[in-house]
Amino acid sequence: METNSRPVVVKRMPERVNARSAREFWNDVQPFVTADRPQLVFDLSPVIQLDAAGVDMLLRCMAEVHKRDGDLKLAAPSEPAWVVLELTRTERLFEIYETAADAVRSFSGFLPQGMRQQLLHKRPPTSAAA
Amino acid sequence: MSMPNSCALVLVNTEPSFRYDPLPLSGPAALYDVAGRSPLLRVVERLQRCGIPRVTAVIAAERSFFPRKNVLPPGFDCRSALDDTFWQVAEDTFVELTRSGADLVVLIRLGAYAEVEFEKMAEAHLERQCPVTQALCADQALEIFCIAASGKDDAASLFRSRFQKCRSECPAFIHTGYMNPLADARDLRQLGIDILTLKTETRPSGKEIRPGVWVVPGVGIDPSARVIAPAFIGTSARIGAGAVVTRCTVIEHGAYVDCGTVVENSTVLPSAYVGAGLDLAHSVVGMGRIANLRRNTTVEVADRNLIAHFPMRGARRLMRMMTEFLSALSAKLGRVPKPETPAPPALEPAPPVPDVLNVTPETPAGDNKDAEMAGVRTDGDQ
Repeated sequence: METNSRPVVVKRMPERVNARSAREFWNDVQPFVTADRPQLVFDLSPVIQLDAAGVDMLLRCMAEVHKRDGDLKLAAPSEPAWVVLELTRTERLFEIYETAADAVRSFSGFLPQGMRQQLLHKRPPTSAAA
Repeated sequence: MSMPNSCALVLVNTEPSFRYDPLPLSGPAALYDVAGRSPLLRVVERLQRCGIPRVTAVIAAERSFFPRKNVLPPGFDCRSALDDTFWQVAEDTFVELTRSGADLVVLIRLGAYAEVEFEKMAEAHLERQCPVTQALCADQALEIFCIAASGKDDAASLFRSRFQKCRSECPAFIHTGYMNPLADARDLRQLGIDILTLKTETRPSGKEIRPGVWVVPGVGIDPSARVIAPAFIGTSARIGAGAVVTRCTVIEHGAYVDCGTVVENSTVLPSAYVGAGLDLAHSVVGMGRIANLRRNTTVEVADRNLIAHFPMRGARRLMRMMTEFLSALSAKLGRVPKPETPAPPALEPAPPVPDVLNVTPETPAGDNKDAEMAGVRTDGDQ
């Protein structure tokens, strides 16, 4: 998908983000992260387990992207992902959207309604058994 | 009216439920410590204060959930049962109690935690001269019964229907006091809040070292940690440097909150570890899980750097038992006041609670010694 004439790359995160899978994911996204002014969206909807290593990888991606004047946004975090992001105080460092489409659109305009869940701490409508 | 020869039978199990529960607990809620003591022990103490000295409990749960022998009050007998045979064991125990000479048996299933006035309930039961009386709270039937020794058949029908129906009609005793359904982690958390904010008649264990801050001897609180009232910190718990414990937080025995972590409006269950630099809010943490009450979800955390469970074993357990023994001994010798203080009158105004408290090692010398014995240290010990 393209906005502002620059591509937005959407990556789905693995179900279990532990030290090993975080390293693999980093290897996957590194070319995009190190591109010029990257625009990235990580889809966290499949995540059922997020470790400190996964959070560390997210922060590393964010730091690299910001170094290159780009942006990294998160989309549709699952309940386990939300809980760990809040626990590690990292949820406040990212723009987080309800869907990946909202996150992509947000690169070309401000979308407050797409961030409703983050702002209101509302449960996502799709949440089933955790 | 004098209390007849009475005894109590308390049943604790987890009834299978087909309802989806987003905040499940690993065992019966009545066996989890809340501000130092489990609801089961709080009910037993209440029964004994109400003139029912003999209390027997039948528990169907993992052995690790059972109350420790050194905290069992005298006159309290604790029996275990398997899930399959629970109701049969309960009925047999009831028959045994009536054969041992009890005229009246107070039968309770925890279940809900209710601060029932058992003397009044027994009086009402005797006045009505009926075999069974059941407690009701706001039109909700509680699993609390008074049964005359002669009402064995009624009791049998109760046990066989799992408290769903009784052979004869049960007149109601209306309970207007405190009640908590204790159905899930949210209720467990609410009970902790209610105990700390003195909405219940039962009080937190330990000593109130500052208005609204209860600490059991043997804790290790770093001098740079902040404990803001109301809060409870249990035996052998450790609070690391720069940590903040605030807004009705309950840290149970053997729990460890690592450096820089903020724990707000949460319950940290026994032997739970909360990693460094975290922000824990509106949650119940323990057994490697977080029940987030705001998100209404329970999440298993596999990363032991974030959340872990360290059950006490071997030397650590021995240390803790020694700590508890020394605390009890010093209380008996009069060096430290007994942890259990009588509840203040309901209308007495609460003492002013300061906003922020810096808990430094101002505890009596005996307490510091206890902390050393428990294998915990504060910065002052370095």
